[in-house]
Amino acid sequence: MLTIDHLVKRRGAHEILSGISFQARPGRVTGFLGPNGAGKSSTLRILLGLDRATSGSALINGKPFAQLANPLMTVGAAFDGSGAHGMRTGRAHLRWIARAAGLPRSRVEEVLDMVGLTYAAGKRVGSYSLGMGRRLALAAALLGDPPILVLDEPVNGLDPEGIRWIRTFLRERAEFGNTVLLSSHLMGELAETVDDVVIIKRGKIVADGALEEIIGTHSTLEDAFFALTAERAGDTG
Amino acid sequence: MKAFKAELSKLFSLPYIWLALLLGAFAPALFAALDNFAEKKDIIAGISTRLSEVGYIGLAFGVQGVIIVGVLAVSSEYVRESNENGGGQQLTTSLSVVPSRLSFMLAKGGAVTIISILLCVVAIFTTLTVTRLILGEYAPTFDWSKLLGVACYWVLTALLASGLTFITKSGVIPLTVLMINSSVVSLSVVLSKVTKLAYYLPDRAGIDMFMSMSDSVHTPLAGGFVMAAWAAVFFMIAAIVFHRRDVAA
Amino acid sequence: MRASVVSSSRKIMHMLGSELEKLVTLPLIWLTLIVAFLANMVLAAAFTSAGLQGASGAGAQSILNTGLASMGYLQAGFIILGILAACSEYENGQIRTTLTAMPWRGYQLSMKYVALAILTVPAALIIAASGVFYSFMMMKDAAAAIEMDKMIEALAGAAGYLTITTLISAAIGALLRRTTPALALLIGYYFIVSPLSEPYLPRIFNYFPDIAGHYMYMKPASDDINALTPMQGTGIAGIWAIIFMAGAIAAYRRRDA
Repeated sequence: MLTIDHLVKRRGAHEILSGISFQARPGRVTGFLGPNGAGKSSTLRILLGLDRATSGSALINGKPFAQLANPLMTVGAAFDGSGAHGMRTGRAHLRWIARAAGLPRSRVEEVLDMVGLTYAAGKRVGSYSLGMGRRLALAAALLGDPPILVLDEPVNGLDPEGIRWIRTFLRERAEFGNTVLLSSHLMGELAETVDDVVIIKRGKIVADGALEEIIGTHSTLEDAFFALTAERAGDTG
Repeated sequence: MKAFKAELSKLFSLPYIWLALLLGAFAPALFAALDNFAEKKDIIAGISTRLSEVGYIGLAFGVQGVIIVGVLAVSSEYVRESNENGGGQQLTTSLSVVPSRLSFMLAKGGAVTIISILLCVVAIFTTLTVTRLILGEYAPTFDWSKLLGVACYWVLTALLASGLTFITKSGVIPLTVLMINSSVVSLSVVLSKVTKLAYYLPDRAGIDMFMSMSDSVHTPLAGGFVMAAWAAVFFMIAAIVFHRRDVAA
Repeated sequence: MRASVVSSSRKIMHMLGSELEKLVTLPLIWLTLIVAFLANMVLAAAFTSAGLQGASGAGAQSILNTGLASMGYLQAGFIILGILAACSEYENGQIRTTLTAMPWRGYQLSMKYVALAILTVPAALIIAASGVFYSFMMMKDAAAAIEMDKMIEALAGAAGYLTITTLISAAIGALLRRTTPALALLIGYYFIVSPLSEPYLPRIFNYFPDIAGHYMYMKPASDDINALTPMQGTGIAGIWAIIFMAGAIAAYRRRDA
């Protein structure tokens, strides 16, 4: 269970998040939607303890990320890019992460196989394509077999086959009772993957609910998204 | 011309570039001031053996600023240390805007040259002012040919820095080697004790353009030519390497 | 209570192992050490050859002095080592991976410094010793029998000095997070500011990390009234390293990654 509560983030005079609240529940895939610069990544970064909140909280099973006893076995996270130094091999990258959590090296081979990267595990990350880098980041997130996954734009850079794979994979994780929170600005991909939708715009939540509720009378999630995020003078909904 | 202007604006928007420019403008004056205070007594007594080096010594050590500019101009195209760009290199964008790699390099070199000249003019002004303030009537006269030599030394050093960085794709080696070599503990000086060939190293030869040291072996003109040849060779190697290499490699 | 102590000490060992693995799997680290080794040999050869030419007063001390004369340049290699260890975290957003695997920032960065010291001490010892060994082989005809204990003391001091320099560089690297500015700052201090201003402010400069550190391996001139003992030098340089590392950790804990 992920709980974001009245989260505020300011950088200088600029307010990036203005007191947002939402939850991501076990057994559901929660889609975190919003235009570029709406505050999606900032929220996820605060949730993972990378950035500090100005006020409010972002908790994982009721605790801040840094207070988890076994972070890697509780939450798997992937941000944009590979998150790996270009001169290391993919395998070496996963090995130091595994060692940090006290996981066996055999687990590295397992996750490499899961994301279909075994063939490139001995190559330097710098030679990877965008999609391969994303798969490596996902492999790192899966190392500790965590019940919670937090993924920032997971389909960004993946080929159609990779997108289909991640969609099936995330649905399976949720069906086994895991929590999945993913951010995206790609509506089409999301509509077929998520159960719940949270829409953020300029640091404020503009919609939060089950996929069917959000789509409502609109024909697609995309239409609903544009209706919700378009400028609505004087209409506060 | 467009590519050249683009390179100039890229340079001025680099983080830390202003620090390098400040360093280039004022560090020579600071070094010269330290040296002036130390030599002042001897100069007034008329027994200083280093009168011909006064002021110039600051401009010799103060070349660090343009070394940093020359390295940063190129290494910034390759860095992946920024959080925001998701690991992309600026070079990919640069080369899609200026598709010819040679004109990209020439524009880069042109921008570095212009900045080095301007910075050197400022540094000469601050250094001479400080020297006159400290030594007053005892300050030596500075002749134009030597000051021109200083400007050449700065420009060629900056170009060497850029050329080397194009070859190594990282600022680490060029910055270390060039900064150390233009310091009091220059490696070239050590090597010159072992082999006379060391006098043909770029910094050792280039410094003869404006410093008449006891162990100078080149005339100012010859020294300038040797250093220019080094810079040209490095830029040629850089052009060949850069032309053949994939951007991502 | 006891269980949590055991588990947190195990966690710290995991972090140390992870940081060590990060260092040894980064080719840049090995490249730096190999280049430092080769460059040091070339310099040792140059200094030895220059020393042989002016072969006056060739004693055991002069072999040591000649063999360690390249230290001034060798420290550049270890400055680079420290900066690379720190700044490589910031390439391609690796820092986010690090902090999601090890969110205990203070412990994680401390373990990085421990790992770096574990790698640096033997590397510095081997590189410094190889230079002294070369001078010894070349100069032994001209020199008296070398005193083993003096040599070991000097080499231990040299390795200690290089390790402290590496740690200070790693701390500056972590504070600035970018390789080029950190390198310009450190090379600028160690090679330009410090040697240029040393003659003007001798007494104060004894308390600066590099000057104090020199006393760890260099026998001061006998007429140097301000000279420090090797132990004083180690203490002062070590305190500097601790101050910079503590500053880096404090900044690291506070700021957004």
